[in-house]
Amino acid sequence: MFKSHKRRAFSVAAILMTSALALSACSGGSGAAGGDTASTYDPDEKVTLNLAFWGNDVRAAFYEEAIAAFNEEYPNITVNSSFLGFPEFWEKRQTEAAGGGLPDVMQFDYSYMRQYSENGLLLDLDPYLGNIIDTEPLSENILGIGVVDGVTTGIPTSTNAWAMYQNPKLLDQIGVEAYEGGGSWDDYAEWMQTATDAGEASGIYGGSDWGGRIQNFELQLRAEGSFLFSEDAEPGFDEADLTKFWEESAPLRDGVVIPQQRLEEVYPLAGFDTAQTVSELTWDNFGAAYLGGLGESYTELGLVAPPVTKEGAKDLYLKPSMLHTISAKTEHPEAAATLVNFLINSPEVGAIFGTSRGLPASETQLEGAKLDGLDAQIRDYEESIADRLGDAPPVPIIGAGTLEEKFRQIGTELGFGTMTVDEAVDQFFNEMDVVLNQ
Amino acid sequence: MSTIEVDQAEALQVQTQPAPRRRKIKRKTVNTIIWFVVLASITAVILYPLLWLVVSSFKPSSEFGQNPGLIPDNPTINNYIKVVEGIGGIPLWRFFANSLLIALSAVVGILISASLAAYAFARVKFKGVGILFACMIGTMLLPIHVIIIPQYIMFQKLELIDTYVPLILPKFLATEAFFVFLMVQFIRNIPRELDEAARIDGAGHLRIFFSIIVPLIKPAMITSAIFAFIWSWNDFLGPLLYLNSPEKYPLPIALRLYNDASSTSDYGATVAVSLLALLPILIFFVVFQRFLVDGVATQGLKG
Repeated sequence: MFKSHKRRAFSVAAILMTSALALSACSGGSGAAGGDTASTYDPDEKVTLNLAFWGNDVRAAFYEEAIAAFNEEYPNITVNSSFLGFPEFWEKRQTEAAGGGLPDVMQFDYSYMRQYSENGLLLDLDPYLGNIIDTEPLSENILGIGVVDGVTTGIPTSTNAWAMYQNPKLLDQIGVEAYEGGGSWDDYAEWMQTATDAGEASGIYGGSDWGGRIQNFELQLRAEGSFLFSEDAEPGFDEADLTKFWEESAPLRDGVVIPQQRLEEVYPLAGFDTAQTVSELTWDNFGAAYLGGLGESYTELGLVAPPVTKEGAKDLYLKPSMLHTISAKTEHPEAAATLVNFLINSPEVGAIFGTSRGLPASETQLEGAKLDGLDAQIRDYEESIADRLGDAPPVPIIGAGTLEEKFRQIGTELGFGTMTVDEAVDQFFNEMDVVLNQ
Repeated sequence: MSTIEVDQAEALQVQTQPAPRRRKIKRKTVNTIIWFVVLASITAVILYPLLWLVVSSFKPSSEFGQNPGLIPDNPTINNYIKVVEGIGGIPLWRFFANSLLIALSAVVGILISASLAAYAFARVKFKGVGILFACMIGTMLLPIHVIIIPQYIMFQKLELIDTYVPLILPKFLATEAFFVFLMVQFIRNIPRELDEAARIDGAGHLRIFFSIIVPLIKPAMITSAIFAFIWSWNDFLGPLLYLNSPEKYPLPIALRLYNDASSTSDYGATVAVSLLALLPILIFFVVFQRFLVDGVATQGLKG
């Protein structure tokens, strides 16, 4: 007994020590670059930068090409790139952040921006905006996305918007007209019912349950002039709102949408990319992955706007698909900023990446990108929803990812019918209590 | 159930003399067949996922999800061709070579350092041997998460990130308490008289270690080598933290590159490369299996 106490005391002490070390490594750094550093910078100095990103081999090849193009212009800057899958990428970054060894330039995810910015791990980019980093081709809206607590720490590479994908080949097969986009949620539900009925013989469904995605809830909240979470981690909804949302989608789960059982069978793929559903509400950059998953016999997808909750509301917004950030501890902030500028603005990089990271955020890069097929569809879609686009919500609160995942899990429970709406609302608010008040 | 059947068979045997022998044999065969069928079907259920994995490596990526069955609709060898070409311009053999280099260095390091440390703990009398031994066992209780950040900071200050040193050096310093402990227990079972006889003949510690102890703890060394190889081959977190350049990645990290959650995952390639990555360890196990069993079985020293 005594021994185990001692051991526990020891491990607690060890954990405290580690976190103390981690914290001390986190503090310091930020704001090291003054306003005049840019002018004293020698552009011909030989430097080496580390660049880290997540992605598959296709993206790795794109980055390799982009770095080669960068080196033609800046032969003095050597770029060592390193890539991993998404979860591993963040596991490694967390340790490096604690140990003070973050790479100079990083591809970054929106959901981690707040945590890393508030801990002073990311370089304040304000001194470089407008000189090394050309802000001309970037709109106010887009620059505003990478601001945490008034400080710009990231620049979006590209944007996504919430959208509805459809599978025209499957629709042909079951003889149902494509959904024209917009309309009310009831219109969409009715259309899904028609498609499910028509596809009954071939096991094809109209779509999947929109109640399982927190983005659909956010869309409806924004239409009512509210929001999901404020900058100070206050929720913009109460139990009644969430109950209403899940109750309205309840009839769908009763034979309209694809059964949860079928979805579990193909996980981690979804109903849409296994050709079992004809429509899906999701981010518009998922198109390429869907086509990849569907295989060669499917060559095109339909892309239309999601249903409208309230006429004239600014419910949609542009979300950065990824950002570029610089480590606060980099030894070569100017060279790193030069690389970020190139990756964000260069038309050559636009031509290399196309829309594989989302629709390029910078105008010069967008012009450089040759867009055809799905890429052009995404560009046209984001232009077509201009009058529904509102301001982007603040950079996600810490724990937003956990809550999104909880929402999805509750969605599957509702799909299985193992939980009532009231229980689901209770569980989500409990989880929110834990995550927001920790 | 079966005893009743046997009883009945015996009863029959008493009644009619010539026929019963054959009937008994028949009963036995029927029993065997039933057992065989039951066991075979249980085995089939257990092995099905593995079989599915092997067969699925010949499915094109898009068929995953659309065709959950066993047989591919459009069998293809492309997954293997793609996988062997590698990822991000680095051929697959490079990842194999990296894994092999790290694993073999780990085996060598652990064999040398753990056996020396174990000899000291088991045979040399020095001050604080008890406390130090307890400390070493104590390190086995430390969860890895507690030491990982300090260790990272240490290697980072030494500028050894993106080299294999952080992965290999600790193995040469007997930091794997499990292996030291294993060998200590083994050496303690060796009769001291053997050392003493050598000492009388004028042998020092080094001579005793190399000429007496090492030959006798061979089974423990082989067991350690096998475990060290397998653990190092499968290690994911260490290489993930300490290596930055993709051309230095070992297999487990390369494996994950085929399966990216944020963009398109290539399931066909993932399955194919998983199978290929399994092969070396399977071969290693088949070759050394005999020793592994010996190592576990040879607990005491007889004769």
